[in-house]
Amino acid sequence: MEQLLSCRPARALALVAGVLLATGVGAQVHAADRVVFATTLPQNQSNLFWGGTGERLPNFQALVGHDPISGKYDNSELAESWSTNEGFTEWTFKLKPDAEFHFGWGPVTAADVVHSYELTTGPDSTINSIEHLRAKSAVAVDDHTVVFTFDTPRTNYAFQHAGRGSLVIYSKAQYDAEGVEGYNTKPAGTSAYQYVERVPGVGVTFERVENHWQGTVPDFKELEIRYVQEQATILALLLSGEAQIASIPRELQKQALEAGKKIISSQNPAMATGAIFNGMYGKSGDPAYRPDLPWWNVKVREAMNRALNREEMIDVLYDGRAEPTPSWLMDSRNEGYVPELMERFDEMYGYDPERARELLAEAGYPDAFPDPMIPIVSSTLNGNPEFPVMSELLQVYFEEIGLQTELREMDWPKLGALGRARESFMISPVRNAPLRPTEAALVNFHTERGTPYGGFEDDKIEGLADKLTATIDPDERNAIASEAFTYLFEQYVDMPLAIVFAEVTVDPEVVSDWTFPGVTTNSISHWHLIKAAK
Amino acid sequence: MSLFVVTIVVFSLSHLTGDPVDAMLPDDATQQQIEDLTKHLGLDRPYHVQYVTFIGNALRGDFGQSTKWRGKSASTVVLERLPATLKLGGLAILISVVASIPLGVLAAVYRNSPLDRGASVIALLGQSLPAFWLAIVLMWIFAVTLGWFPTSGLGGLSYMILPAVAMAWFQVAALTRLTRSAMLEVLDSEYVKFAKVKGLTENVVIWKHAFRNAAIVPVTYFGVLAGSLLTGSVVIETVFAWPGTGLLALEAIRGRDFPVVQFVVLFFAVFYLFANLVIDVVYGLIDPRIRQD
Repeated sequence: MEQLLSCRPARALALVAGVLLATGVGAQVHAADRVVFATTLPQNQSNLFWGGTGERLPNFQALVGHDPISGKYDNSELAESWSTNEGFTEWTFKLKPDAEFHFGWGPVTAADVVHSYELTTGPDSTINSIEHLRAKSAVAVDDHTVVFTFDTPRTNYAFQHAGRGSLVIYSKAQYDAEGVEGYNTKPAGTSAYQYVERVPGVGVTFERVENHWQGTVPDFKELEIRYVQEQATILALLLSGEAQIASIPRELQKQALEAGKKIISSQNPAMATGAIFNGMYGKSGDPAYRPDLPWWNVKVREAMNRALNREEMIDVLYDGRAEPTPSWLMDSRNEGYVPELMERFDEMYGYDPERARELLAEAGYPDAFPDPMIPIVSSTLNGNPEFPVMSELLQVYFEEIGLQTELREMDWPKLGALGRARESFMISPVRNAPLRPTEAALVNFHTERGTPYGGFEDDKIEGLADKLTATIDPDERNAIASEAFTYLFEQYVDMPLAIVFAEVTVDPEVVSDWTFPGVTTNSISHWHLIKAAK
Repeated sequence: MSLFVVTIVVFSLSHLTGDPVDAMLPDDATQQQIEDLTKHLGLDRPYHVQYVTFIGNALRGDFGQSTKWRGKSASTVVLERLPATLKLGGLAILISVVASIPLGVLAAVYRNSPLDRGASVIALLGQSLPAFWLAIVLMWIFAVTLGWFPTSGLGGLSYMILPAVAMAWFQVAALTRLTRSAMLEVLDSEYVKFAKVKGLTENVVIWKHAFRNAAIVPVTYFGVLAGSLLTGSVVIETVFAWPGTGLLALEAIRGRDFPVVQFVVLFFAVFYLFANLVIDVVYGLIDPRIRQD
């Protein structure tokens, strides 16, 4: 060793190592007035809201807000009130007169709403549910009144401005003065946090607005959203104290809990998950109709449902913290809820591999089908890291009852493209997030006029969905929706799994609580309610 | 010619990955939305027209607008991430050279000693440990457990050390082995024995006479090293959330941002060609025989 250290290169090496270690020590910084939220990279990494699918930055507000506990619509954001005409073809939003943009860009007016609407519905927009946001016209009636008009009734239009969050309000004055570049560099919002900077590939920082127009005073002076691709790195950030809030999958939460961290759940379900039988285009005359698919036989569909041990799946996928559901589209807070379906669920969908094998035999599987193979998609989707595992579990359960299966790995956009081409003849995990109003859910997933993702379409469900859209009487709508959910349930058109709450893992020494409803597109909202530990 | 081939390969492969509109639009996009965006991005034109447009614009330095990072050109997106990669890659090269050259030389000089065997173990581990695994282990030990360094993210020297070490690890192993074997050959030559007989000090014999002649081998590898540290940054930058071109490339591929993917790959190709050109020049400086040829 002595010989080694007497040599100049070795001494240099030792010196370099010493310097490197010295620069590293003390790298962790704990600042009580700053909170860092670590999460995976979002699809949209610009400040232009309409360039993403609905990831809303904490500096922006929409027209309609949500109660943080019940999740019900409220006027906590920019609209003081809203109303519709009798036919639900005209929606009027009254803005709060004292709402102010950050950085001195002036009061929020109806012109800002119309301007933001035009940007959001432009040709380069990639926002979710844009067709549901798009109106026949959007007119600023006066400084604080905006009217959206439609050709057909829009009973759930408030959802587009609330949970779906398809429209956030930008300053027209800033746009007129600085163009879109102004939004890119320092977008003015209206919430209790204002934009500070975005470091490409790293994250976005916000600071508390002093004397906010709503009088809101967040506990933390600074809020940073740190983007990290690797889940293990997000966990490391939380455990090392560099981040105080993290969005990590349930399988990593155990380690965080062992290290004294705490899980905070949304106040309401954030999504419903399950698996669907894609490619059931059964409307009369549909050229994509493929009756030879094994899962067109209702006995096969029942067998596949009975093959699933849902309790075990919820344990594996969600660490037991999810609730079984008889439908991934029906929600107790929405129209058409049928509580009896939950009561009938065990009898009709309960885990029974023996009965599943009998059903397959009755259906003549596999001999009665030209191609008995059941392809299962394995794919990842932001916010649902459990999907690939779910696909593997489906495969195991299906093979257990004698089904022939094949796991097909593909990215989510590819699955989407197949759906749009009406060629997605396979089983796939699915989610409903945020939980859509009934009409939107039924139209989107079970009709040809919705986006062609949902598996099952036939004349009956198409007719019910059309009737629902054309009806404005609440009782009648409720009855139609109930009939639709019952029909879908009895036809075994999908494999519902669970109602899932959104969760964040926090360092309780820095963050004591965070009340968020979980009903928005990204599940996470109400940043101003992150509470600092005393 | 190489660059021309690269442009064809990059253009073809990026288009084979699928339609960027599928990745950009949400699940519930309508046909109208798809058509609007396809037209807006110019993806409704035939492939050969898109390629010719791409080449024509590229020759003028215009690689198009990023489809993922709205409002920015592809070159702006890449160039604003480049300093981060160059800094990290530079440190990794420094660590590789500073660690492996002395280690390789000393392992050769003290052949079959514990030092030599230690160097062999380092070489073995370096070439067999996957970079992402090593990266996470380093992060866990030195950032989470010991708290000596930040786990990840962009920052000063302390933020760069763990990713640079993880990046350099494989190169240290390779370069140490090469240096050692080159030195063993040279140390056994007549002129080195003659220098020793002449009474020159051991340091002078090793570093001035032997190493200079053995250096041609590690220098040859240096071109590969520079290129691979740049391209190999994808894994390390992803694990350490270091916002360089490697992480950018991954994000661009996932988002099917063709302009950014094309610019990143072309940039890597140019860098690689340039690094090898520099090595050819350095050969001449080190070895007079090559200069005369």
